[in-house]
Amino acid sequence: MIKNWFKLISLIAVTMTGALLIYGTHDMPAWGDPNSPANSHVSPRYILEATQKTATPNIVSAVLADYRSYDTLGESAVIFTASISCLFLLRRIRGRKEGEGKI
Amino acid sequence: MLEYILAKYNFWIYVILMMIGLYAMMGKRNLVKKLIGMNIFQTSIILFFVSIGVKAGDATVPILKGDGHGHGEHLIQVADYLNPLPHVLMLTAIVVSIATTGVALATLILIYKRYNTLEEDEIMAIRKDASSYKTQR
Repeated sequence: MIKNWFKLISLIAVTMTGALLIYGTHDMPAWGDPNSPANSHVSPRYILEATQKTATPNIVSAVLADYRSYDTLGESAVIFTASISCLFLLRRIRGRKEGEGKI
Repeated sequence: MLEYILAKYNFWIYVILMMIGLYAMMGKRNLVKKLIGMNIFQTSIILFFVSIGVKAGDATVPILKGDGHGHGEHLIQVADYLNPLPHVLMLTAIVVSIATTGVALATLILIYKRYNTLEEDEIMAIRKDASSYKTQR
């Protein structure tokens, strides 16, 4: 069967991707390592200085709405675009009569 | 060996979740199942990033103790707070995943209205029939 053949191909591809990623975790730092690169390069600066610079005790909201506020603005643009496109996609149905869009 | 497994097993769990999502996106023929696979994929990425920011020991959520105006925070230790940056980035990723899921569901409603099915092979068969009909005429 052609369908099962395709499923087998995709299963092989997914397994190979997963094996490659599991091989890649060999180089990852251990879970919860305080000295891992992600925890020791940029984030100490945010933890130490965020409160003085933004007067916000919550560092996550300080970074989200102050350091990266342009990112949050773009994020709201994403949400706006998605909601507008949902609106137009679903509005088309109601204006059309039942069965008019069939092939 | 046990130490190695304890240090890495969370990454393996996320890789397995990602494999489930990727297989659902590639191998399944129902479009809703493909969408669920995409959501599982995104969830695995989000969990992976959040787990990068974990610090073992006494680290708590990144909300500083003190009044937020420079009083009481003079003893900030970096090891006391979790890494805030993956949390922030994953908030953005959650927003994007919500947006893509919403648009995809709206598109699926349109597809169902037009073809009366969500199975990919049935949709392709209907399209094939329609195009051969068009060329005959």
